Parts: sequence; structure tokens; C-alpha cells
Amino acid sequence: MTGAELIDQALLYTGIALVTIGAVYDVIAGVGMVRFPNFFVRLHAATIGAVGGAALPLVGVGLIALASSQLGPYRYGVCAVCVLTAAAILVTAPTGSHILAYAAYKSYSAPREPCVHDALRKRVEGGDEG
Amino acid sequence: MTGLDTGPVLSWFVPAVTALFLTAFTLYIVRVVRGPTVPDIVLAIDCLSYDLAVFIALLSLYYGTPFLIIGALLLSLWAYVFDVFVSKYLLKKGLGGEEP
Repeated sequence: MTGAELIDQALLYTGIALVTIGAVYDVIAGVGMVRFPNFFVRLHAATIGAVGGAALPLVGVGLIALASSQLGPYRYGVCAVCVLTAAAILVTAPTGSHILAYAAYKSYSAPREPCVHDALRKRVEGGDEG
Repeated sequence: MTGLDTGPVLSWFVPAVTALFLTAFTLYIVRVVRGPTVPDIVLAIDCLSYDLAVFIALLSLYYGTPFLIIGALLLSLWAYVFDVFVSKYLLKKGLGGEEP
């Protein structure tokens, strides 16, 4: 076994491990999305599903694509688009869920009810500085 | 680097991991259908879009076609646009300041 084959094997099995971990994160996020009581609590499950369940396995798919010879010269392009998509998800998923949470809080369109401590209420509804 | 024929490994790995992804899709779709409010539905559709992007990337490896991967990038950016539009709509709707 030459050195290049060894590198390809390492890329393939690292990618397989990342995709498997990401799929398990996806199932965990789905269970949380169903069982959590509140929109603002479900944001945590959505973060797990976006960062651990989408960005991580996309990097893994990129590594597998880098080792695959059946894609021909396109494998570098596939790897680049996979890493680019993972970076885009890492930037846009927290931003999007933050915008959505702020809009849902301010427009009262989601119930706040199982609530332990609401530090945003003072700042949104006026009054003294929170 | 000439690469490795990963077809034999992927031919059992992708169907095995598809079971996990289908479980996650089913759980997200349960939240989309049951979701009591609009932000719940939008959040679940976001997660569904991100997972679908990963699944499309896996299918592109499984079938050996590099052109499927373009859909993954567009799908992940579409979810962000959907977030922004829905939150603008929610803020405009709630400007009256009704009580919870």
C-alpha cells in the first residue's frame, strides 16, 4: 500500500465517521424538536440539527468525495461545494434562528409559557435598563 | 493522487445512514404538521432543509454524479431567506402590541 492510498483510506474512513456522527446528531435534534415544550426551547434542538447535524456531515461528505475516484476530476469541485455549504450553514443558521426568535418574541406569536427567567422583557417593553 | 474506488464502501454505508436520516426527517415532519405556531413550523422547515442538503450531497456521492451537489448549496441558502421573510412578516403583523 503506497502513501497516497493510505491517505485516501484515511480520508474515506474519517468522512464516514463524521457522517455517522452527524446522522446521530440529526436524530437527537429531531427527538428534541418533537418533545420540547416551547418554541424558545426548540431553538436549542434546531441549533443541534444545524451545526452538528448539517455542517459536520457536509465536511465528512467533502472528505469522502476527495477520496472517490469514480467522480473523476469533479471530486475537487464536489469537495469545495460541500465545504462551502458547511461554511454557509455555520454563518446563516445562527443568524436566521436569532432573527426568527426575536421576531417571535416581539410579535407574541409564540407562547412564552414554560419560562424560568425572562431577561429580555425589560429591554423590549421599555422601562429601566435591563 | 489518483483516488480510491469508494463505490463498494458507499454501497452499504449510504443505505445504512439513510435510515437515520429518514428517522430525523419523520421527526421534523411531525413538528411541521403539529406545530402550533408559525415560528415552530418555520424552524422545523429550516432544519429539514439543512438535513435535505446533507442528504442530497450523500446521494450525489452514491450515484457518482457531481451535478446534484449544486442543490445542496442553494437549499441551505434558501432556508436563510425563508427565515428573514417570515420574521419580517411577523414583526409587521405584531406592531399593534397586543397582549400575550
